[in-house]
Amino acid sequence: MAGDDHDLNGDRHPPIQLTIWAVIALAVVVIAGLFTVRLEYQPETTRDYPPRPQIADGEAILLPAPEVADDYLPCNDCHDGVTREEGPVPRELEFEHEDTKLAHGNLWCRHCHDAVDPNNLRLADASLVPLEDSWKLCTQCHGKKLPEWRAGVHGKVTGNWRGDREYVTCVFCHEPHSPPTVPIEGEPRPRRPEEIVLRTSSPGEE
Amino acid sequence: MGIFSRNKKARGQKEGAQPSSSRREFLKTAATVGVGTAVGAPAVASAMEFDFETFMQKNFRELSDEELQGVIDRLERKYSEKYGKDVSVSAIGPMDGVLYGYGLDISRCIGCRKCVYACVDENNQSRDPEIQWIRVLEFERSEALRTINLEEGNPYYEHEKVPEKGKFYVPISCQHCEDSPCSTVCPTGATWREPDGIVVIDYDWCIGCRYCMAACPYGARHFNWGEPNLPAEDFNPDIHIIGNKPRTRGVVEKCSFCIQRVRKGRLPACHEACPVGARKFGNLLDPNSEIRYLLDNKRTFVLKAELETNPKFFYFWGTEGRS
Repeated sequence: MAGDDHDLNGDRHPPIQLTIWAVIALAVVVIAGLFTVRLEYQPETTRDYPPRPQIADGEAILLPAPEVADDYLPCNDCHDGVTREEGPVPRELEFEHEDTKLAHGNLWCRHCHDAVDPNNLRLADASLVPLEDSWKLCTQCHGKKLPEWRAGVHGKVTGNWRGDREYVTCVFCHEPHSPPTVPIEGEPRPRRPEEIVLRTSSPGEE
Repeated sequence: MGIFSRNKKARGQKEGAQPSSSRREFLKTAATVGVGTAVGAPAVASAMEFDFETFMQKNFRELSDEELQGVIDRLERKYSEKYGKDVSVSAIGPMDGVLYGYGLDISRCIGCRKCVYACVDENNQSRDPEIQWIRVLEFERSEALRTINLEEGNPYYEHEKVPEKGKFYVPISCQHCEDSPCSTVCPTGATWREPDGIVVIDYDWCIGCRYCMAACPYGARHFNWGEPNLPAEDFNPDIHIIGNKPRTRGVVEKCSFCIQRVRKGRLPACHEACPVGARKFGNLLDPNSEIRYLLDNKRTFVLKAELETNPKFFYFWGTEGRS
């Protein structure tokens, strides 16, 4: 018959390919349509937030250094320049300082503590600074750390990223007499997937 | 006309030729599942506290100001009642001229996991089943000379004291990618990138399909397989709708840079918790920020840079010998 696409031998003819093409075309149209719909109904990437006052840039605040044990202070109780002399060369530490482990290069007391006024630290230019400003002493040698610390990259910063921020000083993390940090206790590990118990309701509602 | 009719016939014949047992089996399974669902339904409904208003709630980005205020009021009421605390829910927006960036000093990280638990406390994660947004991976220091493969990192290390000799640590959470694959694949528009660079989730629009988890190359997204359990005493009442709002079962969650804190100018919780100051945070558009300083002066890299996701989470090597 004229309308039949099978010939006498039963072989197939172009219309079946036409079918395939038609289906493919339809699929393309449908998929494209879905994408258009999706794009159209995708919410805006931002919502209109009402204008709000901007937070002003704050100040850098130095946090106080950890407290030194009371029985050490004031230093001139013992180091009055007469009864106790540390001496210019390293030797065994004794009395109150038995526990102090001195392992900071080849440094000895006098490199940092003033001999006459031991409550203060002595900088290289002979000026005295109180113990709270010890960072001024540390950065005489460790000068490379100073800009990093000021920038907030070396050391811990707390508070605000915009607004007042608190800096800790060197001695907060580094014990000045033996500066390398020591290992600390960590928090427990996460549970492995096989250890996690699932529930379908909160504990109180079962 | 001819084509369609024959096609139908051909398909029908094909199906007919195949034993229809498969279809019957399918129907049987469907019936069983249906019964199962019917039995399970009341329990699930009570656990998930279905309420119509939440169900009909628009996407966060489409809420008008009045509608948003309504949502905030409803959530404050709901959470105050549920957790017995004075709750503040906010939807505070981004600041002008701010693009957040995070820096992590892998030369200083000691793997103590204090950030992990600070994050859990701040962001109302489920305690049991446990969900943690930060994973700290442990690697062999000797291996790092060649390359590191994130798959080889061990998140389950246990040591009496950290850091362990010969190891280094890489904490991983959401990288807040500029071209975030997770938000691209989301079929409901439930996750997107805010103008200040934070990739957020609207938990009410998440359908739990987990496409985003498959798309995320960093394993940063976590799924609530079970009903989250958050004791009232651990609940943090400082809530952001697209941040640390308590989640329900069947939604995906992840780090939001502590959106409830940083949009008020504060530092993220993990940043505050880090005992060694290895975590750095700031505005990438501010040339005087610490994040810009380390980008300018340190050796910095991002994870899986070859995927071109453009993360806003930078790892760097901070120490350069003693001095």
